[in-house]
Amino acid sequence: MDETSANKGFSFFKPRGATMRDEVRVIKLILSGWLIAIVGFQLIAYYLEASYSVLLLKNLTFFNLPLQFWLTGQFLPLWFIILCVLFNIWMDRHSAQSLEGSLRFRIKATSGEDE
Amino acid sequence: MTDGIVQLVPTAIVAGMFALFIFSGLRKRSSQATEYGFSGSYTGRVGIGAGIASNWMSAGSFLGLAGVFYMKGYFAMAYVVGWTGGYVLLLVLMASQIRRFGKFTAPDFVGFRYESETARTLAALISIIITVIYCVAQFRGIALLVSWLFGIAYIPAVIVGASLAVSFVVVSGALGANRNQKLQYFVLIITFILPLMLLTRKLGYFWILPQFGYGAAIGELQQQFGFNFSEPFASTTLFEWFALCFTLMFGTAGLPHVLSRFYMVPGIRDARWGVVWGLFFIALIYWSAPAYGVLARLFEARNGLPPQVGSADAADMVVITAAVLGGLPAWAVGLLAAGGMSAAFSTVAGLLMTGSASFSFDIYPRLIRPNASELDKSYAAKGFFLVLAAIVMVLTLQPWGMIAEIAAFAFALAGNTIFPAFLLGIWWPRANAAGAICGMLTGLMISFAPLLAGDRLPLLSHLFPLTSSAFIGAPLVMAVMIVISLLTSPPSAAIRLFVCRDVHNCHEE
Repeated sequence: MDETSANKGFSFFKPRGATMRDEVRVIKLILSGWLIAIVGFQLIAYYLEASYSVLLLKNLTFFNLPLQFWLTGQFLPLWFIILCVLFNIWMDRHSAQSLEGSLRFRIKATSGEDE
Repeated sequence: MTDGIVQLVPTAIVAGMFALFIFSGLRKRSSQATEYGFSGSYTGRVGIGAGIASNWMSAGSFLGLAGVFYMKGYFAMAYVVGWTGGYVLLLVLMASQIRRFGKFTAPDFVGFRYESETARTLAALISIIITVIYCVAQFRGIALLVSWLFGIAYIPAVIVGASLAVSFVVVSGALGANRNQKLQYFVLIITFILPLMLLTRKLGYFWILPQFGYGAAIGELQQQFGFNFSEPFASTTLFEWFALCFTLMFGTAGLPHVLSRFYMVPGIRDARWGVVWGLFFIALIYWSAPAYGVLARLFEARNGLPPQVGSADAADMVVITAAVLGGLPAWAVGLLAAGGMSAAFSTVAGLLMTGSASFSFDIYPRLIRPNASELDKSYAAKGFFLVLAAIVMVLTLQPWGMIAEIAAFAFALAGNTIFPAFLLGIWWPRANAAGAICGMLTGLMISFAPLLAGDRLPLLSHLFPLTSSAFIGAPLVMAVMIVISLLTSPPSAAIRLFVCRDVHNCHEE
């Protein structure tokens, strides 16, 4: 790649090259899953509270834990872990050869004290 | 909580735990030691994960989170989601890219990417401000624990706690003790979950997984005491919830000491999987923390005590209160106190050392003494360490708010300044120094605006709440960065080529 191609520029919304295009597509998928789950669960809880009053939410318990605690407190952190695992599996498969090859900054922990 | 009684058994356990940490650090001293304080042995992905988690665990997670649950019920879920979801952002958008820049600290990164000494110094100043705010939250946790352990009032406890923290750093530094982060994480998780299992078992709940078992306490509170957890948005709006949640996520991806975990890991692939393990270890604590808040409420209701919703001090100590009211043996309460103490101490040690290193490398030789020698810099680092500790101590004397809220303010500042600078720096080669400097200054103003002008302009503190300003703030700062960057000349071709070819590998095929 020469300097003129660097001048054409890229951004998250305008990825360049096949590797980066694929990577950005996966990142967008993961981030949508992340955003939809966070916003969606709160909207569900808000909607249930607003339209069905306390009665339904009070009875919507599983294993004694109210529904919104399950969704937000227990499931969301788990969902984040799942998303990260999916992302890593994809990255391992698709970018192993190109990315690991460009590892130029191999730093041992012992050399961390200078700089 | 100040009844003048020294808690002998818990104090002994706290002292024993610190002796264990120093001793285990000494055994490994031959392997490595750095003055930055974020070194650690990276053995495998689980080890990286434990390092990430123990670096992350602070008084905010250990004491603060349960306190917010006690005080605000469901609203505190915003902290749980914000402090875990941020790692998704960090992993997919930044972790491996930061690694490829090959820099050591946030100011280093900003200075290199934006090719500007001014941007670098500004980033260093902001990192130090973030450090101070974050440490105030930790010192508050330490002071509350010291006040309970020794039975003294809050103000003297701040001074005692601060001296203990400083001497811990000095002693372990003088002995050359290394932070054994894996051991520290596993001690933390045991000290947090074991007492919780004992508590739920005593209550006759499902104790093997107390993370789920505490549902029974919610049910009992609702049926017998009329305390309601089933109206999540009764006292807060959706905007407040989302603002806090996203602020914490942006802040997670912008906190210098969190980012610093990714500069030095040996391989990108290990770093990525390390994040997954780290997130899992962090989630273990956050799945459990609500239980302490809920159980404390239950014990108070059962004992006919009025809930102390007005007192931030009482709320921040609910982890201990729950254990005491639940009738746990002194050693179990001591474990909790020791866990909280060590979470706060290790965070303080790491942060103050990075803060003073940042001062001695980025600010002192550039602004104060242009031709400083290496020896001067090392004296400056030591001196500034004490100055920082003193500033934090004085600030902690003020009752600013709960631990988690003070920490959230530091997250808001990081989310408004460092996060946009890193995100655009990585993903948009056109971002230049002028844009980054204006952006970070705007972020600073947005973060402090509600504190300084919130009284006169109510709209300001409504749109940018002190603890949650990055929800609107971060996108606004990015807009400022983009506009200013486009109006000024692009950065050098070399750096654009570097970002394009070496960071993103975007070959045309």
